[in-house]
Amino acid sequence: MTNRYDIAIIGTGPAGLSAAINAKIRNKNVILFGIKELSNKLLKAPKVNNYLGFYDVTGEQLKGQFQKHIEAMNIDIVNEKINAVYAMGSHFTLMVNEKMYEAKSVILATGMEYTKPLKGEEEFLGRGVGYCATCDAPLYRGKTVTIIGYNKEAEEEANYVAELTSKLYYVPMYEGKYNLNDSIEIVKDKPIEIKGEDRVKNVMMKNKDIITDGVFVLKDSVSPNQLVPGIEMQNGHIKVDIDMKTNIAGCFAAGDCVGKPYQYIKAAGQGQIAALNAVAYLDSLK
Amino acid sequence: MVQEIKDMDFSKAVQESSKPVVIDFWASWCGPCKMLAPVIDEISEELNDKVEFLKLNVDENPVTSNQYRVASIPTVMIFKDGKVVDTLVGFRPKEAIKSVIEKHI
Repeated sequence: MTNRYDIAIIGTGPAGLSAAINAKIRNKNVILFGIKELSNKLLKAPKVNNYLGFYDVTGEQLKGQFQKHIEAMNIDIVNEKINAVYAMGSHFTLMVNEKMYEAKSVILATGMEYTKPLKGEEEFLGRGVGYCATCDAPLYRGKTVTIIGYNKEAEEEANYVAELTSKLYYVPMYEGKYNLNDSIEIVKDKPIEIKGEDRVKNVMMKNKDIITDGVFVLKDSVSPNQLVPGIEMQNGHIKVDIDMKTNIAGCFAAGDCVGKPYQYIKAAGQGQIAALNAVAYLDSLK
Repeated sequence: MVQEIKDMDFSKAVQESSKPVVIDFWASWCGPCKMLAPVIDEISEELNDKVEFLKLNVDENPVTSNQYRVASIPTVMIFKDGKVVDTLVGFRPKEAIKSVIEKHI
């Protein structure tokens, strides 16, 4: 049986880190997912003058202070990318490719760096549009499928799907060498819109139009409602109340992913609120 | 436990039931389907006197999955009097699925 954590925190920006230190202070068994650099946005900030207590610092200096703080509190970062979070009722299952983690509560602090959906993508989701090519490929046996790939991993999926479909188009959204089977037709063009009637019929590109039965959009980072199926969104952000609760019991969110303003200290404050309410939620389970 | 249904018995099962019928379309190679299965099991235990719960393996039963144009799994369809009254595509938390099913009781 997998170890079930009290709180899983997704994201190592100011919101996630502030949530982590507060949960740790309250003696909870925490797992923190993110990157060694903490936040790419933080690294890029040339000057920060609105973080109380730190005047005239660069983003990198602030990052250094955050780093020291979590190290002093023995908080480790698990450098793994969570693909999906499933609310199972009594707990959450967090998927990392084939591996999974379990937690009683979750704090989403994922920022706002996800790729914007294409026109028609959300409208036709489940009616020809999918995000998991390996999951749904057998449903397209002998049909025409288009894969819009944002990264190298998408190529592997394309090669697998090509074995089942009669025709596969691959639309790369990045430059590089493509390691694809010969049967796959590479389309170097910019997708504009996914169209159809009751189901997907074609992908309109800048220069051409592809007739297709299915479209898989394979991205680096997905929007929160792809990451956490069933989570309620509002104007492109996760909907939360004043306690940073989402519509799913035990799931909280903080920072840029819940809305504007996009500021460090606001994110940290919300991370703290989320952590303390996650602690209260855990206590209520007993 | 939710019973398995096959192509052969499908239309009979949804046409002749006096209760709403919930069908979980799944396959063994689909991760989110595995996550959804225990959730559906739990709901079926809570609503078993009011709703019939069945699951259909899309790999083994292409006729039904084609007929109802299942393009993504997991897909949960709710049938009433032999007709589809609601379709849920993808994993959903328990309460979200339960509330949709309860609308049709």
